[in-house]
Order: sequence, then structure tokens, then C-alpha cells
Amino acid sequence: MISDFRCTFDNAIGISTEITKDLKLSFPDAYMHADTMAKIAHAMKQKEGAAFCMLPFCHTVEAEAMGGIVNMGDGNLGPRAKEYCCTSAAELLELPEIDCSKGRIYEVLKACQRLREQGEHVALMISGPFTIFNVLIDPKYVFKAMRKQPELMRDIFQKIERELLTYIKIAVEYGVDMISYADSSGGVNILGPKMAEQVVMDFTYDFLKKAIELLDGKAMLLLCPKTTLALIGTEKACYVDHELPEVMRYGEACVSLIGQVPVAGQMCIKNIDYQLENKKFREIRLY
Amino acid sequence: MSTKEELLKRLSEGVLEMEEDDVAEAAQEYIDAGYPALDAINQGLIDGMNQASELFEEEEYFVTDLLLCSDAMYAGINVLRPYLPEEKNDVKHKCVIGVVEGDTHDIGKNLVKIMLETAGFEMIDLGRDVPLQKFVDTAKEREAELICLSTLMTTTMPGMEEIIHLLEKEGLRDKVKVMIGGGPVSQNYADKIGADGYSTTAVEAVKLAKRLLAIA
Repeated sequence: MISDFRCTFDNAIGISTEITKDLKLSFPDAYMHADTMAKIAHAMKQKEGAAFCMLPFCHTVEAEAMGGIVNMGDGNLGPRAKEYCCTSAAELLELPEIDCSKGRIYEVLKACQRLREQGEHVALMISGPFTIFNVLIDPKYVFKAMRKQPELMRDIFQKIERELLTYIKIAVEYGVDMISYADSSGGVNILGPKMAEQVVMDFTYDFLKKAIELLDGKAMLLLCPKTTLALIGTEKACYVDHELPEVMRYGEACVSLIGQVPVAGQMCIKNIDYQLENKKFREIRLY
Repeated sequence: MSTKEELLKRLSEGVLEMEEDDVAEAAQEYIDAGYPALDAINQGLIDGMNQASELFEEEEYFVTDLLLCSDAMYAGINVLRPYLPEEKNDVKHKCVIGVVEGDTHDIGKNLVKIMLETAGFEMIDLGRDVPLQKFVDTAKEREAELICLSTLMTTTMPGMEEIIHLLEKEGLRDKVKVMIGGGPVSQNYADKIGADGYSTTAVEAVKLAKRLLAIA
């Protein structure tokens, strides 16, 4: 049985007006260039007292690189989906492959690299399939295909898997040392328990296994607690506790265990002040 | 040839089982047999949708199921619509619905729209990422009695309060009830911004809308 994690953090996209004013940036231009992205990410880290920088500031980068249409927004309301580019699930298979050498996705990677060169830890936030679909297609077509065209959906999931693994592989080459993975649009609260389980079986588990292999300890994989609970609830993973030397915030603990623990996911990484009072860090170990 | 009752049952079950094609086929058979279209909607399609919402309340059905049930319902309505009697003075309560600017998550909004439509409201769907002023302008132009606002993101929640202020500015606040919903929204938040109501689910939203507009 998959439990839900009530999300309040993942949905906090956009940037506080304080930061945008201080940096004297113009939007949406600032969302499109590596140097401004890096400045914003660094300023956000400083302001929030976080242990690492997070990029990008929205959930549209992957979908845009696959042909999705994005409204770039402004300093308050960040980039978001515009109209859908697909009108049937089958069309998702026809979308272009992600090319990490151009466009906003390239700028995001360069921004990550720049921050790493400045000595920062960087978490690249990667979206799962349903978050990506949300930009590309009315989700009802996907739900219908899940129910009535399972073969087609398997092909679509495989395509998303290929695209995301390519992105992750290149991100690590750019120095990213943390990969955050979330798919709140595909949570059990939306899909229901049966479909949520089907997604773990048809996508999440295999994708994460391959991602872990690809990362090979060079970067930590940080799961959204919704994903963690989906894996635990379907008995595809378990918790393995690690003793911390002292009480630490979750983010700091993650940074301290890069290279030692491949997968974390007990709390949302956006919950900056979450303290591990019991000094226990929970690795998510996939079977 | 199937009887009227058999076809009504097929329509209702087709909606409940999310069988869009079968519903359209049954609706066509029903019309070809010369039965009245309005009965097919009320006793067939809406009956199926109501059963689906009961299952939703019992946590047997989920959001995705209801969306597919509604697709099946609309497949039937599309076949039946040309045969419906012309509406006389059957005044429906008008409701403007949309996801506030900055947010594109519209599954919850779509569900509330379907449920209210099934309950007899005339829904004016502005879609997702809707400029705040547009809610007010549309409510004014269409003389809506209710505005339903949805957002899944904490950063776009203030837009809901802004809409209430805009309604006040236009002198419409007494004429239009405002209902809010979405992941991070709560009753406390509704109270704080002066909304008339908050509901956690689409089914609850129908009860709330009826209560706010004093509909039996």
C-alpha cells in the first residue's frame, strides 16, 4: 500500500521578490542564461541558508527540450507550461530527443558547472514523467493510455527513461553532485493506488536502478518523499539507517554523505530547516 | 433491439466503467430507437457519473478514474446534444472556474468542473494559468454567481486573495461567492483571505457550492 506525502514544498517554484530586486535582474531573461541562473541559485542558497544550490527554478526544462511550449513568466511567477504540443499519447513518442548542447537545458547545465567551479554543491532537480507530461499533453490522455493502451505507455515510459538518463549522465559530466528526482504530478493522491503502483512497476523502479548505476557514487540521488513512499509501499525499496556524528539538517547530512550513500529521500530537499534530531539518516535502498 | 431501460443501463454502466466508445454507440442506438435524449442524459449518463462520484467518496475510484468517466459521459452527450429539446427558461447557476495565474496544474480544477456540471451548474471554464482580472471580468460579463479558484502551488496562492480584492473593487463581492481549493490551500487560508468556502474534494465542492448558493 502506497502512502502519500503531503507536499507543500515541491510546489514552491519561483523566486522571492527580495532576491530578484537585490540582483537587479530582468525577467524572464534571467531564466535563460547560465550566468544569471547561477547568480540566482547562489543568492537563494544564501538567503535560505541551504547547504547546496538548486537548479533549475521550475519543472519545465526537460519538457521544453522535448518540444514543449513554455511561458517564461517573470520574477514572481516562474517558467510554466503554455499550451500543449501533443493531442494524443502516441504523439509523445514522436517528440525530439533532448539535446543537452543547446537551449535552456544547456544553460542550466552550464550554471551547475559554474557553481561547482565556485565550490558549491549543486542539486539538479529532475522531473519525472507525469510532471513532464503536464507541459506536453492534457494528462487525461495519459491516464486513458495507462488504462487502455499499456503497450503504448510502456514505450512512452521507455522514451522518458532514455531522455532522463541521458540528461543525468551529462549533468554528472558537468559536475553536478546531487540529482533530485520528483514527480508530484504522478503522486498516489492523483493516480490512485493501482495506477501509482503500475507506474512504479513500469517506470520508476527500473529508471532509478539505472540512474543509480549511472551515477556510480559520483552524485547522490535525492528522491522526493512521494517517490520514496511509492517504492517502499510496493516493496521495491527499504530504509537503511546511517548514524550521523551530530544532529544535522537534512540537506547538510545529504551533502556529508555524497559518495557514501547513493540514494536519500526521507524528506523533501526544499525543507531546508528539517533537523535530523535522532541523528539517523535514512538511505533508500532499492532491491 | 434493446429496450429503453436496457440502453439507459448501458449508458450508465458505460460511464461508470469508462467505456467511452460503448457509451457513444449506446447513445446512438438510443437515439435511433426514437427515445427522448434528455432521459438518456439524466437517467443514463448522469446516473453513471453520480455512481462514480459515490465510489470516489468511498475511495474506490480516484481522480484519474473520474476524469475517464467524465470523458465517457461527454462522448454520450456529444451524440445526444442535437436531439435535446430547446432550453426554455431553465435558468442554471453560472460558475466561473479556473487555475490562478502562474499555475498550470489543472486536474483538480477539471474534476470540480465536471462534478459541478453534472450537478446542473453552467460552468465557464477559463482554463489554467488565468490572469486574475479575467476571473472578475468574466464573472461580471456572464453574471456568474460563483467563482471557483484552484492552485497547487504556494507561490500562486496570493492570487486568490487578489481576486477577492478585485471583486470588491468592482463592487461585485456581494453578488459573487468565491470557493477555493488545491493542494496547499486550507480552510484557514480561505478564512484569512475572506473566501466564502474551501473544499478538499470535488464531491465536497458540489455540496459547498449548493450551500453557498442556497440550492436545495
